[in-house]
Amino acid sequence: MTLQTGNKTVNNGVDVEALLGARTAIEETPEAGQFTWRARCAWIDGVQSRTTVDGFFGLGEEQARKAPFTIEADHPEQFAATDRGPTPVELVMSALASCLTAGVASVAQNRGIQLKSVQASVEGDMDLAGVLGANADVRNGFSAIRVSFAIDADATREELAALVAQSQKRSAVFDIVTNPTNVHVTVA
Amino acid sequence: MKSVTTVIVGAGQSGLAMSRALTNRGVDHLVLDRGAVANAWRTERWDSLRLLTPNWANGLPGVPYGGPDPHGYMAVSELVARFDDYARRIDAPIAGRTEVSRITGMDGGFRLRTNRGPIGCRSLVLATGACAKAHVPELSGAVPPAIFQTTPAAYKRPDDLPQGGVLIVGASASGVQLAREIQASGRQVMLAVGWHVRLPRTYRGRDIEWWLDAIGVLDERFDAVDDLERVRRTPSPQLIGGSEPVDLNALQDHGIQIVGRLVDIRDDRALFSGGLANVCMSADLKMNRLLDTIDAWIRDRDLEDIVPPPTRHEPTRLPQVPVLARKLADGGVRSVVWATGYRPDFSYLDVPVLDRRGRLRHAGGVAAIPGLYAMGLTFMRRRRSHQISGVSDDAADLATHLRAFLDGRAGIAA
Repeated sequence: MTLQTGNKTVNNGVDVEALLGARTAIEETPEAGQFTWRARCAWIDGVQSRTTVDGFFGLGEEQARKAPFTIEADHPEQFAATDRGPTPVELVMSALASCLTAGVASVAQNRGIQLKSVQASVEGDMDLAGVLGANADVRNGFSAIRVSFAIDADATREELAALVAQSQKRSAVFDIVTNPTNVHVTVA
Repeated sequence: MKSVTTVIVGAGQSGLAMSRALTNRGVDHLVLDRGAVANAWRTERWDSLRLLTPNWANGLPGVPYGGPDPHGYMAVSELVARFDDYARRIDAPIAGRTEVSRITGMDGGFRLRTNRGPIGCRSLVLATGACAKAHVPELSGAVPPAIFQTTPAAYKRPDDLPQGGVLIVGASASGVQLAREIQASGRQVMLAVGWHVRLPRTYRGRDIEWWLDAIGVLDERFDAVDDLERVRRTPSPQLIGGSEPVDLNALQDHGIQIVGRLVDIRDDRALFSGGLANVCMSADLKMNRLLDTIDAWIRDRDLEDIVPPPTRHEPTRLPQVPVLARKLADGGVRSVVWATGYRPDFSYLDVPVLDRRGRLRHAGGVAAIPGLYAMGLTFMRRRRSHQISGVSDDAADLATHLRAFLDGRAGIAA
């Protein structure tokens, strides 16, 4: 896929020059590309919790967000819970859709494609026999995830397919959900 | 210490082409090879291999293919015979069985340590090419010890492998070709597929290489593409020197199981990426985009009436539920073939001209140290640089630059 100079009349609100500049900077100074993302989660009650993100490490130093952001998670009443927020698995689906959508906008900007609207619908299949411990052969997580994009833009169907393909190629969350990651959980 | 104006390391197509170009420019030189002419072709390729490019594309500088089958794909044995003949014809000053173990800089040039004693030279051409060693990922260390592991550089024929299941990692030219013949030998093959390039062998009545040549893709220059690093990482296409298709649909028709990119091995379990659908769809999209480009080229020249009409291939079929994990030893896998690409090998180079990833710093084959040149690297000067048909123009350009360097003239633009 050839990089094209962004068409100046196209504005999806993505600063592609800044992103390409960041890539060049990281090629020259790989240490600057070493990031550590952080989140803190506090139990509220029952299966409800609140996660706060307010900073991360990157570009060689600690970075602060403009304000702390909080995300609450809970479970629906069918799980005998209080239903005060999305379930964690829905947050994962949300993260995947947000990441792919951000990628679609960035790649579209870089390729000179003006977006009018982008809608991503996500479905995740899960057999509860896994999380409930009813069947050891069933995994806890999704057995499949489907993402469907509806995009209105000045582009052919092939160009849109290529846009969505490239977005997957460069997506952190797509990589996180499709590939294994070593996870270390400790007790302080 | 023996001394010569220029040393060429490697007597493959790149080294021979450079030898001829230097002879034509009156540059005294020596071609070193650890073995004989076309050593890697002789010793590090599998028995059934035929060239991916048709014979008409495999001439050497000054000696076009003149054999009886211009549209065939020659076996490696024929290629070796042709290279031997070419070396004699151009009277290349070859020192065989000369292995270079270290190259250092010295006043006014370079010093080579070899098994036949040291050699000094003013300028140096590294012609060991893009495929000097088979790349094996670190992950190979996690394969259970009972499982036989090999690479396309060591593999010769299916019977080199134990009976039983085979995991082939990588679905570029080597991987798909080996998958086909190993499956046909009665061993069940699982093929791990990452980013790949799908190409049809023929299109609209011509070999795909004919079209790539005609539309000018192969002559695109290194300084005319937007993202050279990425283009240089482009894997070899899923092609074979022959008429049988080796795309993923054809391989699945033969019973080969395709899975996503191998991402980890934990205990005895191989884990595969869940992104198989995207790499397949991307390859289909890129193939169709190239075919669209060919169609446009035909249309622009009003050739529609004299070539067959356009066709498109069935999109890559995916397994209903691609496998994400597979037990290796306990799952009947007896061997793993790492078809994970080739890399140049400059480990003998003790000159500060490699980047932090061990790659030669160069612009179009002119290295970042005066007097040092490369040949045969991927997209070194042109898209065809690593092909046999790429050595002619590259050798002429770089020999001219080298001659100017020796004469103390400012080198021509790289």
